[in-house]
Amino acid sequence: MNPKLLKWAFAVMLLVFTLPSFAQKTPVSGRVQNKQSGEVLSGATVTVKGTNVSAVTDSKGKFTINAQPGSVLVITYAGMAQQELTLAGQASDLVVKLDESAETTLSNVVVVGYGTQRITKVSGAIATVKGADIEKLRPVRTEEALQGRASGVNVIQPGTPGAKPTVLVRGIPSFSGTDPVVIIDGVPQTLTDLNSIAPTDIESINVLKDAATSAIYGVRGGNGVIVVTTRSGRKSSKTDISLNASYGLQEVINTVGVLNATEYAAMINEGSTVSGGPVVFPDLSTIGVGTNWQNEVFKRAPMQSHTVSARGGAERMGYFLSVGYMNQGGIVGGIDKSKFSRGNFTANLNFDLTSKLKFILNTTGVILDGRGIQENSFNSVLGSALNFDPTVSVANTVAGTPGKYGFSNLLLSEVFNPLTKLENTYNKNTGSKLYGKFELQYSLMKNLQVTSRFGYTKYDGNAKSFTPLAFYGPNNIDNSMNADGSAVAGRHNSVSHEKVSNFNYTWESFANYNFEIGGKSRFETVAGFAMAKVSGNAAGATRQDVPFNSWEFADFTAATGNNTAANTNALSGYYYQYFRRNVSGFGRVNYDYDNRYLLSGTIRRDGSYAFGTQNKYANFISGSAGWVVSNERFFNSKLINYLKLRASYGTTGNENVDPQFVGIVNGGPSYGPTANSNGYNFNNVFYAGSTVGSAANDALRWEKQLQMNAGLDISLFKNALNISADYFQKEVDGLLFTPSASLYLGTVPIPTSNIGSTRSTGIDLTITYNQTIAKKVKLNNAFTFTTAKNEVTATNSDGTAKIMGGYYFNGQSQSVTVFEKGHTPGYFYGYKTNGLFQNAAEIAASATQAGAVPGDIRFVDMNKDGIINAQDMTKIGDPFPSFTLGWNFSMEWGGFDFTAFTYASIGNDVYRAYERNANFTNKDRSVLARWTGEGTTNDARYPRFTFVDANSNIRVSDRFVEDGSFIKIKNLQLGYTFKSRMQKSWFSSFRIYAQARNAFVFTKYTGFDPEIAGGILDTGVDRGSYPQPRTYTVGIDIKL
Amino acid sequence: MIAIMKTTSFKLLGLSALVLFMFSSCKKWVDYNPREDFRITELDYLRSESDYRTMAVSVYTPLQWLNQAVPVGDIASDNAVSGGENASDVLSLQQIDDMTHTPVNSTLTELWQAAYEGINRANYLHQYKDKNLAGETVTFAGKEALYGEIYFLRAYYYFHLVKFFGDVPLFTEKRLGLGESASLTRSPKADVYAQIERDLTAAITALPAIQVQKGRITKYAAQALLGKVLLYQRKYEAAATVLESVITANAFSLVTDFGSMFLESGENGPESIFEIQYTNTSPYYNWGGVTRGQGNYAIQQCGIRGLNGSADMPYAAGWSTNLPSQNLANAYAAGDQRKAVTVLDIEAYKTANPSFGITYQVAPYKNTGLYNQKYLPRKGQTSGQIELNYLNNQRIIRYADVLLMAAEAYNRSATANDTKAQAYLNLVRQRAFRDNLHNITSTGNTLYQAILDERRLELAMEGERFFDLVRTGQGSKITGFTANKHEVFPIPQQEVLVSNLTQNSGY
Repeated sequence: MNPKLLKWAFAVMLLVFTLPSFAQKTPVSGRVQNKQSGEVLSGATVTVKGTNVSAVTDSKGKFTINAQPGSVLVITYAGMAQQELTLAGQASDLVVKLDESAETTLSNVVVVGYGTQRITKVSGAIATVKGADIEKLRPVRTEEALQGRASGVNVIQPGTPGAKPTVLVRGIPSFSGTDPVVIIDGVPQTLTDLNSIAPTDIESINVLKDAATSAIYGVRGGNGVIVVTTRSGRKSSKTDISLNASYGLQEVINTVGVLNATEYAAMINEGSTVSGGPVVFPDLSTIGVGTNWQNEVFKRAPMQSHTVSARGGAERMGYFLSVGYMNQGGIVGGIDKSKFSRGNFTANLNFDLTSKLKFILNTTGVILDGRGIQENSFNSVLGSALNFDPTVSVANTVAGTPGKYGFSNLLLSEVFNPLTKLENTYNKNTGSKLYGKFELQYSLMKNLQVTSRFGYTKYDGNAKSFTPLAFYGPNNIDNSMNADGSAVAGRHNSVSHEKVSNFNYTWESFANYNFEIGGKSRFETVAGFAMAKVSGNAAGATRQDVPFNSWEFADFTAATGNNTAANTNALSGYYYQYFRRNVSGFGRVNYDYDNRYLLSGTIRRDGSYAFGTQNKYANFISGSAGWVVSNERFFNSKLINYLKLRASYGTTGNENVDPQFVGIVNGGPSYGPTANSNGYNFNNVFYAGSTVGSAANDALRWEKQLQMNAGLDISLFKNALNISADYFQKEVDGLLFTPSASLYLGTVPIPTSNIGSTRSTGIDLTITYNQTIAKKVKLNNAFTFTTAKNEVTATNSDGTAKIMGGYYFNGQSQSVTVFEKGHTPGYFYGYKTNGLFQNAAEIAASATQAGAVPGDIRFVDMNKDGIINAQDMTKIGDPFPSFTLGWNFSMEWGGFDFTAFTYASIGNDVYRAYERNANFTNKDRSVLARWTGEGTTNDARYPRFTFVDANSNIRVSDRFVEDGSFIKIKNLQLGYTFKSRMQKSWFSSFRIYAQARNAFVFTKYTGFDPEIAGGILDTGVDRGSYPQPRTYTVGIDIKL
Repeated sequence: MIAIMKTTSFKLLGLSALVLFMFSSCKKWVDYNPREDFRITELDYLRSESDYRTMAVSVYTPLQWLNQAVPVGDIASDNAVSGGENASDVLSLQQIDDMTHTPVNSTLTELWQAAYEGINRANYLHQYKDKNLAGETVTFAGKEALYGEIYFLRAYYYFHLVKFFGDVPLFTEKRLGLGESASLTRSPKADVYAQIERDLTAAITALPAIQVQKGRITKYAAQALLGKVLLYQRKYEAAATVLESVITANAFSLVTDFGSMFLESGENGPESIFEIQYTNTSPYYNWGGVTRGQGNYAIQQCGIRGLNGSADMPYAAGWSTNLPSQNLANAYAAGDQRKAVTVLDIEAYKTANPSFGITYQVAPYKNTGLYNQKYLPRKGQTSGQIELNYLNNQRIIRYADVLLMAAEAYNRSATANDTKAQAYLNLVRQRAFRDNLHNITSTGNTLYQAILDERRLELAMEGERFFDLVRTGQGSKITGFTANKHEVFPIPQQEVLVSNLTQNSGY
């Protein structure tokens, strides 16, 4: 569809909608209060049943609404039972008392795809996190609020400010991408985009977990759907203004035990002499403890967040406005080098253009600003802090050499002083984003509403980085600067710029029609279509020779590099563009008979530009059924207030693939996955070449996911105890996967094919328990339990494919994770150890292991062929937890409120991969317990120490696998709220609080932080990953 | 009431029209044409002379990726040790050094896959030689000569494979597609050699004697390679003939100063018949494919660790890999100018040049104190990511090699011509010793062994030794060598698992 057609279609749509219609209305007013305490309720919603007309109570609990006599008012308030009230005539002093004890969670309405549903009528599986919980947590990114609060969702958080966590909805279905789709107010976005929504703007988050609920998103729903609903305006209500401010300090939770200078020197001497080398440090007595590089790179970093929001409305319009700013410094290197900050400006407006036509305009502008450091490798800032020579002093004391910080005379490449690395790290990354929607809702007939929504995301990013000339010590081979400050021949400093820009939109039109037959059969239906386009481009330029080797002048305009025959890289640039297009039609019928029997069916047909010519379209169908047992006449239990059984089955999909074609690549070196380079030089003059650079698979199609869900919801003890439990089983068929192919096909990248399948099964459990003690102390407990078992059930046509990942370097390039048939995706793969060889006799008695001497690790001969080789590699760990638990406890008493949130991840292994293991790099403290002779130790973690490791004790083995299970007290918060008693007070409530995040961490893991996010093949591989900080915060929340 | 009905019907009609209209335009919306992404597909290509010439350049590219064939040829033999930082550094080379290599060996896998990419590239051009994908015939002056280069390269890639792995899958008609994975079996060595000979014969006919661009394949390169291929098959008479034609062309000469030809200034010199070209003018930085750029990765490997010294000191530091053995150093007779050029005794060099103020780190593993002087990294000869961008060409076939091959062929011919064999051998020795006093006068088997020994001394650290030992049945000179196994390297494990190829015996 071209843009012209689009405009046309929009115009027709508007025309259809704006045909006016009027009816007689009279104003009605009243107030809403809590039945138990008599407290006025501000923010309660009053709706005229069957219409869009609604109002919200003000801070005094008052409302005014236009309604015809005889119509029904529906009054709702979060956490209280909904009430309906039939209007006798004009009224001005209605008093509505809402009951807080009954149906606390069951009265809620959840936002599902293209509509809303009362939770009691849902027969699929949905996890919900409410705005109030998010407000208590005050996360930087919204996903954090899902961790441990939404059952069935696994969130593995990184420590890097603003970075995207691993989010897995119900296990690991796919290899090609596991990010769930994010729907913000009906508009599809990506998980990456969650960095730019202010958590304080969020009303609720619903995670659609099973096929019944996510199939309406078809090919995008395969990894689950996170539906975010932001706050919106309230018609006919007084303005509520909220102010929030918090300030916090972050610090590292723990550091890793490495050797101090004397211990290091002693070990180096031992390693060297054992290998026949010289004594490196002749006098150990003068060395002392040296420098603890971790203490030098970890800084205390501030974090602050401020928001102001206003919400209210006039008779025919409502608004929610908010302005927010947050800024998080990074604990590695401090806020100057590592940070994330965000400014948000939101205007969510809704208008009743006519009594039947509603217009919703949501707009959020975001400004992002970040700085980053090198991470996640042995030579990153943290990796260097762990591996660098501790005998070096912090400051450079050698006269006649440049640089503020000391250098090593032993480490002459790769690993540098982490402070020098930090000092030479210069970058900034700014971005601006505009997202939102235009939405028209039109009541075509009674109960038939048509919606047309245009949602968009526009992002512009601007990044710059500067690589200065650096001096790492007189003998360092990686120097780009000589000791006299001049540039090493052929080396240059350089500045790189990149501008990225993208514009994504989705245009969806659908109709909702609800009707009843015979009073007891109720139908809710929706049908519609959608088209979407993702498009973007990027341009970058790099230039060498920045004046004065200084960040101050690091800009393309100031740099002076120009290409010459000898240096073709002085000035370079690039540009690329991309797009995706989808078109979809969808429909859903929800049926309920007498609130007892629930049925739901969904169908979606998706077309994608990315699929092969043989499979442009895909159908996704799902169905679910529910039985509300407690509504049966025969059901008569005082204990059980509510009981619903649910089951669903259906398909969803995944389209993480690009269109394929046989292309010709032209040019020089390739930086692609197979380095399929081109070009040659004749007598040192380079000539570009061309060759086949890609292959096509016309049969390419979407990944098809079949998911079964069975669950129940039960409420006990006057609704004090609510349990929601689900069992799911999902199978992915036609897994998008790069097959293993013959090496003799050459280096043209192998195209993705639909080969392979995975199966995930698991249980999600949510338990909430609310209790009021002595009528004053309110206790609320919410537990979640999440478990998923994943298995790859097929790869290739013959099950032989083995996708390696989790690469790291410890002297050799190693790979520790594998995606392979018969195992959980991304499991750790290596050698099993069986203690240490104590003497030559043991070596002789064992399977042949080349190079082994006493003190070396004895590896296990898994295939019992008498020789230790690659065929003996096996499963040595699993980075994904067996289960996770969340426990949110909150207590209110008088003005005090207390929240404690605990998250536990049990059974996840961590692979320690941050040790460079070069002769002169620093070592883990465990080396002190090394084998030093027969009988000293038989623990495979502590082999003999030598520079010449002929046995390759450093190979990938369970020696480096640690139990990464942890319990984290993620949030502790104590607040006190002052309620205004006087009419003339300037505020309606004033709350102060103190918060500690990651207050306590209980784990056996010896690295920084056992929570290590990454792609499926990188999760749990600790290459010195950025740890999460402990944060102490104080803040105020004011409502005017 | 009727009016209301009408309005509603009108609206519904409008809505349905819109829905219909949307769906009709959907089909186009999800179609995809690579041109929307400005991407060239194979249908757009090979439509002009320039397309053919540009694509032929990339048939050369995988030559550079075979980079490690040179160090392997010496490390696998008695000439050099793997060195490195420790026993687990450069594991793939350590195992080849110790003759403990297995089918899982990253270096061998790369040497297999790179050669096959070269073959596929040559095949693709062969496939569309007469007609391109669109069915058109593109003719231009020099097309046959261009195909001469392509066929030489395909022969070179197959020769490389057959030398390393023995029997290998043989295909020449087209670039294989994904659907053809696992469809082949290994062809007997003899068939592969026959194909190599066909390609080289075609190349010799088509190629010019002189190429304007240095580094391009000439007729002589094709003849010299054919000579070598024949020698490997012990077809001595044919080898003598073709090698003789290179010699009698008088297009090449031995340079007087043996060391000079390994310097930058000596590249593509009068003795050079075929060199794989490298340059530092196109800096590369992909650590994911270290041999896939325009620079020579094998240079950095040879360097002395932590080497430092005054500005005049010519060498740059490296990784102390591929260290010449003492056995090799001892093989040179006194007065042989090649010794100092081939092995650098760092301690002796340091003592001899006090003004350089040399400091260095003793090679931490398998130290021999000796370094590969022919390919030692030199200051200022790299750029960008310094480890990956050394400019040094790999000397693949030198005139001296041709003389020694010819000597061998004449000596071994059914009707031996030892006079000629001596003459060619002594040309090489006279250059080495700068006199006639070291001429060889023996004949028969003694002369044969003298020629083989001379090959070792002349071509040490140039990747020939292991293959010379194996083809002449002297593998037992290698420590750890098992006969009937180590003559060839193992097929990469993936080819056994995925392609169902049989493994070489013993692995």
